[in-house]
Amino acid sequence: MHALLELQRAFGAALAQPGGAGLPAPLFRGSRDETLARLAVYRGNVYGNCAKALAAAYPIVRKIVGAEFFDAMAREYGRVYPAASGDLNEYGERLAEFVAAFRHTQDLPYLPDVAQMEWLAHRAYYAGDSATFDPARLAGLPSSRYAELHPALAPACALLASDWPLARIWTVHQDDYEGGIDVALDAGPDRVLIHRPRWRVQVLTLGPGDYRLLESALAGATLGHALEAAVGEDLGFDPAAGLTRWVEAGVIVDLAE
Amino acid sequence: MGAVLAPRAAPFRLGAGVGLRARHYRDFLESRQAVGWVEVHSENYFGEGGYDRHVLERVRADYPLSLHGVGLGLGSAEAFDERHLAKLRRLADATEPVLVSEHLCWAAALGRHFNDLLPLAYTPEALTLVAARVRRVQELLGRRILVENISAYLEFGASEMGEGEFIAELVRRTGCGVLLDVNNLFVNEVNHGADALATMRAIPVACVEEIHLAGHLVTEHCLVDHHGDRVADEVWRLYDAALERFGPVPSLIEWDTDIPELDVLLAEAAEARTRMAARHARAA
Repeated sequence: MHALLELQRAFGAALAQPGGAGLPAPLFRGSRDETLARLAVYRGNVYGNCAKALAAAYPIVRKIVGAEFFDAMAREYGRVYPAASGDLNEYGERLAEFVAAFRHTQDLPYLPDVAQMEWLAHRAYYAGDSATFDPARLAGLPSSRYAELHPALAPACALLASDWPLARIWTVHQDDYEGGIDVALDAGPDRVLIHRPRWRVQVLTLGPGDYRLLESALAGATLGHALEAAVGEDLGFDPAAGLTRWVEAGVIVDLAE
Repeated sequence: MGAVLAPRAAPFRLGAGVGLRARHYRDFLESRQAVGWVEVHSENYFGEGGYDRHVLERVRADYPLSLHGVGLGLGSAEAFDERHLAKLRRLADATEPVLVSEHLCWAAALGRHFNDLLPLAYTPEALTLVAARVRRVQELLGRRILVENISAYLEFGASEMGEGEFIAELVRRTGCGVLLDVNNLFVNEVNHGADALATMRAIPVACVEEIHLAGHLVTEHCLVDHHGDRVADEVWRLYDAALERFGPVPSLIEWDTDIPELDVLLAEAAEARTRMAARHARAA
């Protein structure tokens, strides 16, 4: 093995394990005590940078569990799922999975879905911008062919179905929210759209028809099939009004062949 | 080096700049600030869209922009993240920065990324590796990059040369430029006796195209480069020495921890400008 790789792996192993046991003595200049103390500075950086990134991606989870608990959880999360990339905006993708299994969050059964929602919102925040749909795109195409087109959603859009009232949980945890903070956890299932109309991410509860329409569109269905599926889900769903609603909201941004 | 990697033809005088951070977005969007240029951490703008990219595009229309990477890990022996490099390229293509820089460090091993600037062992093997990486980055970006000396709390026993010597040879092999961080030089002098002035003397004059200035934290065991304070007096003195040797190269105030009001950064930038002017007057 190359010497440099060996040195970096030894350094890395010392960073990854708490306490610094097993530090190969001749790795660094200086006394062992001094080395351990300075290694702790690096460990603090490694942990701190990841914890900061996790807190930035999951402000609601952090509010729910409290800052102190969150910091301890971040340390544990980092042990189980260390960063794989130097782009810290990618860090934390598996927090939902983590809290679902974490012993100390079992009394918060809605937490995994809240985490999943926040991860999608985090991705939406950095997603590509999109122009609203330009009806001129349809010029020259007979309306009889519209059903064969594929509706495309804005890059920031994502859907999530949950047993918990996610949109309400999102709303009451916004920094500028003023109003009652009661959340009826037994309100029943919630199907939400996560999207970013301009710069700010929104989470909206969808009716069954709308959810089915957008879900079908995300899966690559034609407009005809997506609208059919929506009506199949909800007989009261008005296809024309539904299409107009999501085009105007900047959610459906293209109809492509 | 090929023409595309040649140093820019005319010397440019950006003067003093500051690191652009989210806390100061509003200040920059609302009025013209007294800075010659701004620098951002590249990784914070890897997203394809959204508010940060929007602000960056607005700001770069008014100020020359420098992209400063913190996550590429030029010296990671285990792996090199081409995906990360591709993101940097997309950002550089979109924002046309005047400067692009990365750190002389490693960051990933054992299948994980430590997201910190970890010190290299300064060996011939490391030099070969880092030179190949720098060439790769320059090739993909189609331009020279600057490589920055880092602050270190530990020093590999295996190092066979000093940081200055290592950087000078890296420059010779790759044609890259140098981002000289004088606070890091000072931190390393205190932490392990690396002579800051000797390091500067080892670095060829013409290759230094940017200087970083920042505050550090004094702790029981060592100085920590936390970018959370004003520039220390000793570091200003080293800065004067750097200006003496390298000329009035573009200088940047970095502040990343407990970020204060923009005025505090502007005052630091003004101080850098004053020292540049004083040096210039002496030289004239």
